[in-house]
Amino acid sequence: MSTVAVTPAANPVAEFASRHAGWLIGLGALALWELAGDYNLVAGGALPSPSEIIRQIWLDRQYLPRHIGATVWPALLGFLIGNTIAILAAITFVLWPPVERLTRGISITIFAIPAVALGPILVLTVDGIKPMVVLAAVSVYFPTMIAMLVGLKDIDPRPVDLIRAYGGTRRHILLHVRLRSSLPSLLAGLKVAAPAAVLGAILAEFGSGQRWGLGTYLLGSIGMGNPARIWEIGLIATAIASIGYVAFALIAGRATARTKQVTIASATPQDLAGTGGFTPINIAYAVGAAVVPFIAWWGIMKWLDLSPIIAKDPIGLWNYFFNARNSAVTQASLWDALLQSVPIALLGLAIGLAVAFGLAVLISTRPRIGNVFLPVALVTQTMPLVAWAPIIVLLFGRDLTTTLIIAASVTFFPALVTILQGLSLVPRSALDVLRTYGASGAQQMRMVSIPSSIPYVMAAARVAVPRALLGVMIAEWLATGMGLGNLLNRARGSLDYGMIWTVAFTSVAISILFYQLVTVVERAFLKKYRAGSA
Amino acid sequence: MPAAVALVAAEAPPAAARPAPVDGIAIRDASKVFSVNREKFEALRAVDLTVKKGTLTALIGPSGCGKSTLLRMIAGLEQADTGTVEVDGLAPAVIRSSGRLGIAFQDPALLPWRSVTDNIALPLQVLGEPVKAAAGRIAHLIDLVGLKGFETAVPGQLSGGMRQRVSIARALVTEPMFLLLDEPFGALDQILRRSMNLELQRILAATGATTLLVTHGIDEAVFLADKVCVMQKGPGRITAEIAIDLPRPRAPELFTAPHFHQLSDVVAEALHGGH
Ligand SMILES: Nc1ncnc2c1ncn2[C@@H]1O[C@H](COP(=O)(O)OP(=O)(O)OP(=O)(O)O)[C@@H](O)[C@H]1O
Ligand SMILES: [Mg+2]
Repeated sequence: MSTVAVTPAANPVAEFASRHAGWLIGLGALALWELAGDYNLVAGGALPSPSEIIRQIWLDRQYLPRHIGATVWPALLGFLIGNTIAILAAITFVLWPPVERLTRGISITIFAIPAVALGPILVLTVDGIKPMVVLAAVSVYFPTMIAMLVGLKDIDPRPVDLIRAYGGTRRHILLHVRLRSSLPSLLAGLKVAAPAAVLGAILAEFGSGQRWGLGTYLLGSIGMGNPARIWEIGLIATAIASIGYVAFALIAGRATARTKQVTIASATPQDLAGTGGFTPINIAYAVGAAVVPFIAWWGIMKWLDLSPIIAKDPIGLWNYFFNARNSAVTQASLWDALLQSVPIALLGLAIGLAVAFGLAVLISTRPRIGNVFLPVALVTQTMPLVAWAPIIVLLFGRDLTTTLIIAASVTFFPALVTILQGLSLVPRSALDVLRTYGASGAQQMRMVSIPSSIPYVMAAARVAVPRALLGVMIAEWLATGMGLGNLLNRARGSLDYGMIWTVAFTSVAISILFYQLVTVVERAFLKKYRAGSA
Repeated sequence: MPAAVALVAAEAPPAAARPAPVDGIAIRDASKVFSVNREKFEALRAVDLTVKKGTLTALIGPSGCGKSTLLRMIAGLEQADTGTVEVDGLAPAVIRSSGRLGIAFQDPALLPWRSVTDNIALPLQVLGEPVKAAAGRIAHLIDLVGLKGFETAVPGQLSGGMRQRVSIARALVTEPMFLLLDEPFGALDQILRRSMNLELQRILAATGATTLLVTHGIDEAVFLADKVCVMQKGPGRITAEIAIDLPRPRAPELFTAPHFHQLSDVVAEALHGGH
C-alpha cells in the first residue's frame, strides 16, 4: 500500500533538466528573443534584441543615472510616507471601527483615483518633486492599508479568548495577536506597493515639466522611433521595482516559514465589506462616508489657497460642468469618452481576472508549473505599467487590441498574486485531513482551497477595477487617441483645467461605482460560503 | 452496591433563601441559549455549580453537553442569559484581570510564532507582570510538563500532546488561585496522563488552588476530584453530584483500590445509566 520515497531515474541529464527547468526555459526564451530581435522577426523590428538594448544602455550611460535618481528618490519618499500612513490607518481602523466606517469613502477614493488622472492635478496644485512623492504615496496607500487591515482582522480567535481570559484588552490583542499575525499579509501588501510607488512617481512626471526622471525620459523618447530606448526604460523601471518587490518577498519568506498555523481556526473570515442592513445607524455611516471625501477635497483646496480657475473645489467643478457657457460641449465630450473607455476596461478586467484565477489554481495544484511560472509572474508583477504600455503599443499597434491587452494585463498580475496568496494561506491541517482520505488535487481545491480563497479572489477583483480603468486611460493617452485618457491629455495640452478635474472626478466615480458592485457580489458569495461551512 | 457514597441529586439544592456570597466558584441558575443559523439551541439550562475554596470539582459528561461553555462562562468569555456567575463573590471580569485565574482550553490555543517559553509567558505579559523575574518559574514549569530541551521550539515543531502540555504550563504560570482546565490531558498517552495527574495533585496541594476540571476520563475525575459533577445534554444540565471521600494525598496505587472502583462505578452509572 504505502510507497517508499522513490529516487528519480538515474538519468543525470533529465534530472538536471527538471531541477533547473525555470532557468533553462528562461535561457531558451532569451536566445529566441535575441534571434527574433536580430532578424526583426516581430512587428517589423518593434522588438529589439537584448544585445541591442544593452548597447542602448551603454550609449545612454551618461544621463541614465540622473534620470533614475530623479525617479527613485521621490518614489522612495512616497513609499515611506504612504505606507506609514497606511499602517497607522489600518491600526486605527481596528481599534476604533467607527473611524474606518466614516473614512471608508476617503480610502476608496484614494484607491480608485487612476494615477494618470491625479498626476495632472497634482502638477497644477503643488510644485517641485511633490507631485511625484504624493502620487507615489497615494499609489501605495491602499494596497498596504487593505493588506494590513485584512491581516489585523483575520486572526485566530483562540489566543484572543486566552488573552481575554486574563483580562486582556483590545490593546493586548493588538499587541500580542493582531500585529504579528498581520505580518505576512502586510509584507504581501508592501511587495505590491513597491512597484506601485515607482509607477506613481513615473506617472506624475508626465507633464510635470521636470527635466529629469524616467517618466520624462520615456515621454521624450516615444516619438523618436527608437524601440531599444523604450525597452531600455521599461526594463530599468522594472528592475527598480523588482528590487523592492524581491526584498519584501524574501522578508516574507522568512517571516512565514516556521510559523504556519498548525490547526485550523474555526472562525469564518471577517466580512471586510462591513455590516449590512438598512438600520438608521448604518445609513448614517454610509452618508458620512460619502460626504467626508467631499469635505476633505473642499478643505484641501481651501488650504492650498490657489486660483479657483486652476484648483476646483466641488462647487467649482459643479459650476464648470453644469452652469458654464460651454457646459453642453463638456458634457457631450465626456459622454463620448466614457462610452469608449468603460466597456473596454470591463472586458479587460474580466479577461485578466479569469486568466489569473485559472493560473493561480494551476500553480497551486501543480507546484512544478509554479516553479516555471512564478519567476515570470514575479517579474511581470513588478513591471511599472506605464513603462510597458509604449512597448505593447510598439508590438501590437495603436488600436483597441492594444488597449484591451493593457487593461487585461494590469488586472492580471496583481490578481494572480492576491489569489495565490489566498491559496497559500490555506491551513495545512485542513488539507492534510483531505489528503488522508486520498482526495485528489481537484477535490482539495474544491473543498478547501477555493472556498477559503474566495475572499481573496473578491479582494483581487476589487483592486483590479481601477487598475483596469488606469490601464485603458494610459493606453488612450499614449497611443489610441480615444476615450478618457485622450480627453485628459487634450485638456492638459489646452490648459482646460475644468476638463482635467472633470475627467479625474469621473474616473474616480466610475471606479467607486464598480468597486461597490464587486462588494455587493462579494457579500452574496460570503453569505453562501458561510452557510456552507457551518 | 454504592453503600458508602454520598449521592446528591442536583434537583435538591440546599434551600437557603438568598445565598450569601461564597468563597470559591459559584454558578447559580445559569442558562445559555445559542442561536445557530437563526435556530435557538439550548446549551445550558438552570445550572447550579459550586466549587468550594481549595477543592477540585471534576465535570464529566457526553460531548456537546456544555462543559466548555460552562467553563468559558466562569472566565467571562461567555455571558449567561440568566443566572449569576461569581468567583469569590466577584464578577468574572473583575477576577480575571486580578491575575487570580488560570485557564487551559480544550484546544492549546498557542501563538504559532512564539517559542514554548514565550507562549507560557503570555499571561504574564497580559497582566503586566515582569516576565524576566518569572524566568526561573517558567523554566521549572517546562521541566514539570516534560518539555525540557524544547524551550525555543515553536508550536509547529511540537506534537499535539506536547502543545497541550505547553498550555498546561501556561495555565500555571500566574500561580493562579482559580484554575479552569478543559480536558487538559486529552491528547496525552495513558502513562503520561497518570504522571500529569500526580503532578497536578501535587501542585494543587502546594498552592491550594480552587479547580474546575473538565474531563472525559472517569478514573481521572475520581482520582483528582473532591466532587464529580455529571452533566447530560439536551439541554445541558448537571444531573448528579458525587462526593469523592478518598483521603489525600492520593497515591497511584489508588487506581487499583476497591473503593476507587466503587466510586468510578457510581460515576459511570450516573453518566451512562441515569437519565
Ligand atoms: N459560540 C457558539 N455558538 C453556537 N453554539 C455553540 C457555541 N459554543 C457552543 N455551542 C454549542 O453548545 C453546545 C455545548 O458546547 P460545549 O463546547 O460547551 O460542549 P462540551 O461539553 O465542551 O463538548 P466536548 O466534550 O465535545 O468538548 C454544543 O452543542 C455546541 O454546538
Ligand atoms: Mg468542550
